[in-house]
Amino acid sequence: MAIAETTHAGHGDHHGKPQGLARWLYATNHKDIGSLYLWFAFSMFIFGGVLALCIRAELFRPGLQFWQPELFNQFTTLHGLIMVFGAIMPAFTGLANWLLPLMIGAPDMAFARMNNWSFWLLPPAALLLLISFAVPGGAAAAGWTMYAPLSTQMGMGMDLTIFAIHIMGVSSIMGSINIIVTILNLRAPGMGMMQMPMFAWATLITAYLIIAVMPVLAGVVTMVLTDRHFGTHFFNAAGGGDPVLYQHIFWFFGHPEVYIMALPAFGIVSHIIPTFSRKPLFGYTSMVYATSSIAILSFMVWAHHMFTTGMPATAQLFFMYATMLIAVPTGVKVFNWIGTMWQGSLSFETPMLFAVGFVCLFTVGGLSGVTLSIAAVDIQLQDTYYVVAHFHYVLVAGALFSLFAAIYYWFPKMTGRMYHEKLGKLHFWWSMIWFNVTFFPMHFLGLAGMPRRIPDYNLQFADFNAVASVGAFCFGLGQLIFLYNMISSIKHGQPAPQQPWESADTLEWQIPTPAPYHSFVEAPTLEVGENGAIKSMHGGKHH
Amino acid sequence: MTAHQQSRSRDNRVLLLKLGVLACVMFVFTWGLIPVYDALCRATGLGKLLQPDAISTSPATTLAAPIVLTFDATVQPGLPWQVRPLVSTLKARPGEFVRVDYEITNASNRRVIGQAIPRYLPAAAAEYVKKLDCFCFAQQAFEPRQTKRFPVVFVVDKSVPAGIDSITLAYTIFDVPGRS
Repeated sequence: MAIAETTHAGHGDHHGKPQGLARWLYATNHKDIGSLYLWFAFSMFIFGGVLALCIRAELFRPGLQFWQPELFNQFTTLHGLIMVFGAIMPAFTGLANWLLPLMIGAPDMAFARMNNWSFWLLPPAALLLLISFAVPGGAAAAGWTMYAPLSTQMGMGMDLTIFAIHIMGVSSIMGSINIIVTILNLRAPGMGMMQMPMFAWATLITAYLIIAVMPVLAGVVTMVLTDRHFGTHFFNAAGGGDPVLYQHIFWFFGHPEVYIMALPAFGIVSHIIPTFSRKPLFGYTSMVYATSSIAILSFMVWAHHMFTTGMPATAQLFFMYATMLIAVPTGVKVFNWIGTMWQGSLSFETPMLFAVGFVCLFTVGGLSGVTLSIAAVDIQLQDTYYVVAHFHYVLVAGALFSLFAAIYYWFPKMTGRMYHEKLGKLHFWWSMIWFNVTFFPMHFLGLAGMPRRIPDYNLQFADFNAVASVGAFCFGLGQLIFLYNMISSIKHGQPAPQQPWESADTLEWQIPTPAPYHSFVEAPTLEVGENGAIKSMHGGKHH
Repeated sequence: MTAHQQSRSRDNRVLLLKLGVLACVMFVFTWGLIPVYDALCRATGLGKLLQPDAISTSPATTLAAPIVLTFDATVQPGLPWQVRPLVSTLKARPGEFVRVDYEITNASNRRVIGQAIPRYLPAAAAEYVKKLDCFCFAQQAFEPRQTKRFPVVFVVDKSVPAGIDSITLAYTIFDVPGRS
């Protein structure tokens, strides 16, 4: 594989943008690949969203309306898998591709061809998941966690899912290697580690997490595969294996995975809040250390997902306290964001609205997480809608809101045009209201004992479920506002100035808008403050 | 290509290699977890489900109230077994030896090998049921149409908390794949 060719002198000087399909198929430009990732993630978000609406339609009333339970289970499983591996993770990788080279003054990602591979592995994986609905036995229906022994018994839809996970795992590992090498080796002179923008720090740490745990997921689904077809007994009690082993290995991947979806969001918000508060980020150094501590702690808490498996009480206590410990660095971050806003000269454009919405709702999700970490309480709440409410607060209002914030914030730099501010605000308030209508009642449902992943429920849960379903359909509809805003603004938006936000001070705002196709082909010499704030820039060429 | 760019390109490749090795190490680590958990369960006694238990021989200080014992058995769906306990329920005091017979039939025309896994309800009772003999201690082979009777001998330990007044002993019979 020809790698690192973007660092060849003058390679990019002589050609402009390639045209047509070839531009995308053979894409090696980080901006093109970033756009591919983002559009792919958005289409997966729509696909996963439709599956979610299929779930909510069924749960609108008690009894079975639309789907057989087997199909319902396929919807819940694929909704989870697609949103995690198809929407949120690729969206963050896409943003990292677009922004990292601009933020640190690199000409491109370190390995441009590998970058192309990382992206183009994703559509085949998504296709495998899609066609698994059409094979005998249907798609995987064991929940996104694919617990054995359920997953060792299902039809070939499970095999397709396992292969899809292998492919997506390879893709995200290659993407992460690219991110790490770019950040560690390609920073412009003057950009030290402790001056890097928080988004660079967050994606760097996330990339390490991905390299550490995606192979673990690949390993455990491989064990499921060999149990299914090659006569091994890793998870078969009769053959000397143990289904609980699956949970231990899966959650060794699964808990860091939670932070893989949260840390980049922290990074994004750490740019937007300072910009719209017109103040530097409060406590930059503590932000870096808090992010690192969260990453390290995430490897020590996996068994809090398994309090009902019959662990010894001492183990339960250890995992309970370790989990509660994560609230400390997370609390530091929330404190710092509020500290940044404190006495700031605030204005609430769409990115800031989403960022503040993120801080409020992510904290709600964090607090319900602390509640769940209490082993004695978790035994009651395990596998109820309380858990569903909890992780949608951190993944929808957390990861997704931060992604919306990021897209609105960097849209002018990416496209050269402004998005429609009023539609953006409408999108925020619409999402904010209907998100809470959808997911807040789920706390009550869970506390009352409604189990997750079941298509029917007791009559006592009917009212809250009806409310949640109405909320879900409205929330889903509102995302079309976003799609319309993006497409119409890319075509007809007002031309954006180089510096659309008056106090954004990181490197990407020092170059023309839209960002030149080949930016920083010659590295600039920088003088940088904390959080990537550029004090002076010399040199640096674009084409 | 200048010397600086060459050295940067080499640095990139070296880091690529290191990170690739890290990913491979983590993949191998996953498989390494299997013996680690196995050793951990052996060391802590967590995996002692299918071995005879040690019986405490201390004399009863008080005569505890009898506990209702219920016996149950299920078969993994799709397997040709019929399993039933000869008595479904009886009463025994903690410290008293209990013997119950299970009858297992291979209803198919082929040789099969099965493994029984015990389960206790409430789960907290598990550590107080001390098994001396059980057909679950080994894989059991059955000729076509063969019926066998197996004794299960156990004692409910005298230290059982007073709150536990009934215990269900439930077996699930699994096929042993690749050996039938």
